[in-house]
Amino acid sequence: MSQTSVGLKTTVQKLLDKTIVSGTLFSLDKLLNALGAINAEFKQELAKMNITVQLKLRDNTYGRWFRFKDGTVEGHDGINKDASVEMIFEDEDIARRVTALIRDQAAFANAAKQGALVLNGPDAEAMWFSSLLLKVFAFDVLYLKNYGTKMANGEMRYVQGTNGGPLFVYVKDGKIVRITPMDFDEEDADPWTIKAHGKKFTPPKRVTTNACAQNFKSMIYSPNRILYPMKRVDFDPKNGNRNTQNRGISGYERISWDEALDFVADEIKRVRQTYGCGAVFGKAGGHHMWGNIGNSQSSSKRFFNCIGATMTELNPDSWEGWAWGAVHTYGQTARNGSPEPYNTVEDCMQNADMIVYWSSDPETTAGVYAGQEGTIRREWLKDLDIKVVHIDPYMNSTATFVAGRWICPRPNTDVALAVAIANVWMHEGLYDKDYVKKRTYAFDKWEEYVTGKTDGIDKTPEWQEDITGVPARTVRNLARYWGTHKVYLAAGGIGGFGSACRGAFGTEWARVMVCLVAMQGYGKPGINFGGLQYGTPLDTRFYFPGYADGGFSGDYMTTGAGVNMYNRSPQSPSLNSETQSISRLLLPEALMEGHAEWNARSSYTVQAQFNKKKYPANGHAGVKMYYNYGGSNIGTQPESKRYAKMFRCDTLETIVNQSIWFEGEAKFADIILPACTNFERWDIGEAASCGGYIDRSFLQNNYRVIFVQHKCIEPLGESKSDFDIFQEIANRLGLWQVFSEGNSQYDWVKRQYEASDMVKIMPWSKFIKKGYYVVPPLPENRRDPVAMNWYAEGRKKDTPEITPIPAEYYGQYGMGMQTPSGLIEFESQPLKRFDPDDEERRPICTYIHSWEGVGSVPYTKYKLQLISPHAKFSMHTMGDLKDSFVNDIDEHRMLIDGHRFWIFRMNPKDAEARGLKDRDIVEVYNDRGRVLCGLHVTERVPEGTVHSCESCADYKTLENDPGGENTVEIMGCINNLTPKRFIAKNCHGMAANSCLVEVKKWEGGKVE
Amino acid sequence: MKKFHMIIDLEKCAGCFNCFLACKDEHVGNEWLPYTKEQQKHDLKWIDVKVHERGVAPYTEITYVTQTCQHCDNAPCEKKYPEVFQKRSDGIMLIDINKANDPKYADACPYGCVSWNETAQNVQKCTGCAHLIDGGWKEPRCVQACATRAMQTVFCEDAEWDRLVERQGLKPITDGSNKPRILYKNLYMYNKCFVKGVVSTYVDGLEEGVIDAKVELKIGNETIYECRTDYLGEFYIDRIPKNTGKMAVVITAEGAEPLTRDFEIQDKSIVLDPILIGEGEAKANVILPNEHALQQALDHMTSYDAEDARKAFAKEKK
Repeated sequence: MSQTSVGLKTTVQKLLDKTIVSGTLFSLDKLLNALGAINAEFKQELAKMNITVQLKLRDNTYGRWFRFKDGTVEGHDGINKDASVEMIFEDEDIARRVTALIRDQAAFANAAKQGALVLNGPDAEAMWFSSLLLKVFAFDVLYLKNYGTKMANGEMRYVQGTNGGPLFVYVKDGKIVRITPMDFDEEDADPWTIKAHGKKFTPPKRVTTNACAQNFKSMIYSPNRILYPMKRVDFDPKNGNRNTQNRGISGYERISWDEALDFVADEIKRVRQTYGCGAVFGKAGGHHMWGNIGNSQSSSKRFFNCIGATMTELNPDSWEGWAWGAVHTYGQTARNGSPEPYNTVEDCMQNADMIVYWSSDPETTAGVYAGQEGTIRREWLKDLDIKVVHIDPYMNSTATFVAGRWICPRPNTDVALAVAIANVWMHEGLYDKDYVKKRTYAFDKWEEYVTGKTDGIDKTPEWQEDITGVPARTVRNLARYWGTHKVYLAAGGIGGFGSACRGAFGTEWARVMVCLVAMQGYGKPGINFGGLQYGTPLDTRFYFPGYADGGFSGDYMTTGAGVNMYNRSPQSPSLNSETQSISRLLLPEALMEGHAEWNARSSYTVQAQFNKKKYPANGHAGVKMYYNYGGSNIGTQPESKRYAKMFRCDTLETIVNQSIWFEGEAKFADIILPACTNFERWDIGEAASCGGYIDRSFLQNNYRVIFVQHKCIEPLGESKSDFDIFQEIANRLGLWQVFSEGNSQYDWVKRQYEASDMVKIMPWSKFIKKGYYVVPPLPENRRDPVAMNWYAEGRKKDTPEITPIPAEYYGQYGMGMQTPSGLIEFESQPLKRFDPDDEERRPICTYIHSWEGVGSVPYTKYKLQLISPHAKFSMHTMGDLKDSFVNDIDEHRMLIDGHRFWIFRMNPKDAEARGLKDRDIVEVYNDRGRVLCGLHVTERVPEGTVHSCESCADYKTLENDPGGENTVEIMGCINNLTPKRFIAKNCHGMAANSCLVEVKKWEGGKVE
Repeated sequence: MKKFHMIIDLEKCAGCFNCFLACKDEHVGNEWLPYTKEQQKHDLKWIDVKVHERGVAPYTEITYVTQTCQHCDNAPCEKKYPEVFQKRSDGIMLIDINKANDPKYADACPYGCVSWNETAQNVQKCTGCAHLIDGGWKEPRCVQACATRAMQTVFCEDAEWDRLVERQGLKPITDGSNKPRILYKNLYMYNKCFVKGVVSTYVDGLEEGVIDAKVELKIGNETIYECRTDYLGEFYIDRIPKNTGKMAVVITAEGAEPLTRDFEIQDKSIVLDPILIGEGEAKANVILPNEHALQQALDHMTSYDAEDARKAFAKEKK
């Protein structure tokens, strides 16, 4: 094309742009008036401001201004010098793109960044006008409520998402009538079929949920909902009376939103200006409401990035031993040490002879978020002739459901059992010698340890019997079967979790799991990680973001946005300039003692975890203001009492809690901001899809279900969406555009859709009506390769993930593991370099006896080993208490004499020895605390082991002295008893499953 | 006419309690007149899941037994209070809410499926979600929420149902005299007993399970069942009727004399002590910490934890 024609085209284009712009703007006032005429709610919105707004090109060659008065709009061509709000476009092209009905997000973000699109005027007025324009685009949905499916009986059927799976929500007269699992219709994609053992297996055409979802209506309408902003009655900072010691004790009074928000915004400024960077602390719960926009990786991340805050450094609590241990054996830092999942369901069904579920209870944990999707597949096991073994100190829900042999080692002794299995394999030659030679490193070093050449102890089944309590014959026979058959190892609920990794030296358990699978030929057909929970044959190539892909955080460094969204969802970046963080496990020590130290960690590299972090960080202030968002968390933290004590200390001048329910930490706040559930606002998501650190976690599902999360009802009381609360505070700090680009939560929901492959499938108008889309599975001949098969066969990595990052390969890119040798390292070279003498994490995997197990110091006083894995009927604290339905489930809580006690499980022999019987109120105690529970006497635990779930949603002492010495906790906050010691000294991880207790009958009278 | 029936399969129930929660979801906060008033939020359950435990650790078995109104055709409630309990032609048993305002009616069901709701001033029970069924739903909420289809609704003619009962071996959870419309599959997990055991031997001083030994279950001299030990040397015989009384297993391992173990089945399942073939001493299944184990523990601690522990134990001994 010649230069002339390019010039001509540009001129023509300019004219065209101008015509479109002037046409759009010419009709704007008419459009606004027309919309006001047909919808009273919109008319009210129009009447909110009486102002004049100017829209124009920078050079004033074109302009149109609008006068808003009492709900009607006049439009005039030209320039009005008295306009209070000005929207200035650099040129016609930008004006056209931004004003076009379907906005060009990339053009918008670029124009805003480059100053080619400017909005001048007082914040409140500019913000109102800007959002009014967006409301025009969303008029159909926001005002005409043109979304959802109308049912024959007049009910509306909407779609929502939860931690326990997506749901249909039936609404009538502004009230939720019912929530149900989704049955698919004829239009929805058909499922996949797996052919195995001469049979065909196809999941039913529906999506499953679990209690975490089905309980939700009672949580939404819970009497414990916080419906108004509140202030602690004796919190009076104006007069210098903060009465921090009364937190958790004194009551609350209702205040207005303006009072609450003005205070919080002013306090953020005061604290940061007075003390300096780092003085505001932001904390977000991990399993709050479902949805990519409302998630903590999105809205709260962007908010805290905008205001500058010290953030919590989360220990990798689901992964612990994997993140701190297994990464040194085979890398996988991008998954926090978990194994690849791809297409393992099909491979397992076709090729495996046995599945060993080791500290693996997907029936309780749903893997993560996956309802009962895996349950359907595990139900097939009895038709597949695959043997099953469950190894867990507690007969967990997967063991009760999937028939097999339950082996119950004493807590924290699993490594001894595993080492003895390897010992049998070594002595009897029952392992894949060729694989070990070609695909592993320094096997001989581990063999010397296992067979006792280094320490004189041959670690036989007999050796482990005294340690684990499991008869030698059982281990010997299991090892022989395993060593001569194809076995899948389900280590943890999803592969890479498991309560065994959250105990003393949980690193060694995760490492030994990898060692066992490696010895048998990890990645060969039928030999892999998995328990039919993760790795279904779904379409991994269709892109829809998971919540950890960052939503609208604009945070390209600490969410998956940097990898997955940078080219799909143009948005202004956000970054927290304050680099200080505090280990969540050491929060009380950091805030009360003023300092803390722990190891860093990174999903990108193995080596990052060899560095220390400290609080306070250099040049940073100590924390003075604590801003908590999301669910109750205290019941999930070891030695919980410390946190109650911390909240009452005067170091913390202000505590703000943005919460849905009045429970847990919310009761320690000075100011409470009432948030609503996701059923009362917009969001968007995919079933069980995390993205980021659990990439493609939707492979736990039988279907990929992508859904809009409809706003089903108005927020209860005066509660607001978390997004809107953050926005209001941001507005008060002059951050309104910076926080949200002026977009509402609904706008961002639509932008997630636009950033995904959904745009290729159906228009927004259809998506928002039906509410969901089922991604068809790939045809059988296009399914993903099986995880690690590439490695077993010495090929370049061909599974669909782009990690490890290039620099983590020491040799040829894409070849081998994320280790210096590129092989699975029985002796870890990085650990050897870091500290070869670290007794708590040696270069080779070893059995290290717990500091809080049989024979340890506390064992002189407390003889029962307590494990406290996840609860089945609540997702951590989400679902528990709140007067919700699950509290009536006898496996969740026990109603005794008017109080719903947390359940504590004990073997009949142990109960008899203590004179206890079923349904007794018992006091569970050790040096760290006292907790009241309801006793369930059961053969689901062997003698010497006791079980009670973590994650009580509340914390309440009998003496009304939260955090006080020798107080009795009555709601069942079992973590009061668990140790704060890290799983190993250089590993920032919790060891809640290493806990000794004693139990006695409660004689202290009625509990209320 | 097609009538309402339900099948509950104990083998398929994962104990998720979705049925219970879905029932609450449908009936708490909603009033489905004229079928029923609102269900009480807590404590009263129209459908419940009971946990049934068999065996001892580590040979424990847990079964979830879902129970609700059985919509009996020969219903004790209807017999006792015909003015209150009325059966529809499709088999669903309903309560007349206008007449059900006396707590005395709560004793109508010998299976405990009727209860008095103080708030609603009504006796209540499962309605089979008749309000939904009449509105075109294919199944009640409990069944719709069941992931594994451990619960299934069957609308069919009587004759077809009879064939289904025969073919699938469906059984009532009662003695059957009430002619329930809810029948169970794999009820043995609830009302029968098992016997489990392990056969072991010593080879070169090391204990191992004996694989593929013949196991005969006997009453007197009659062999009523035969199986073989599995890869762990264990055997598992289920579906033994309660109160069968004295029984025995006879173990025949290759190259060894048959060994007999007597036991008695009353109302509990039995886990036999380990059965040892040849010389040696079999150990129990769960071993409590002994002196040796305590020493082992110290040997495997970090040096500093072990030092602390030794001091603590020395102090305790003093």
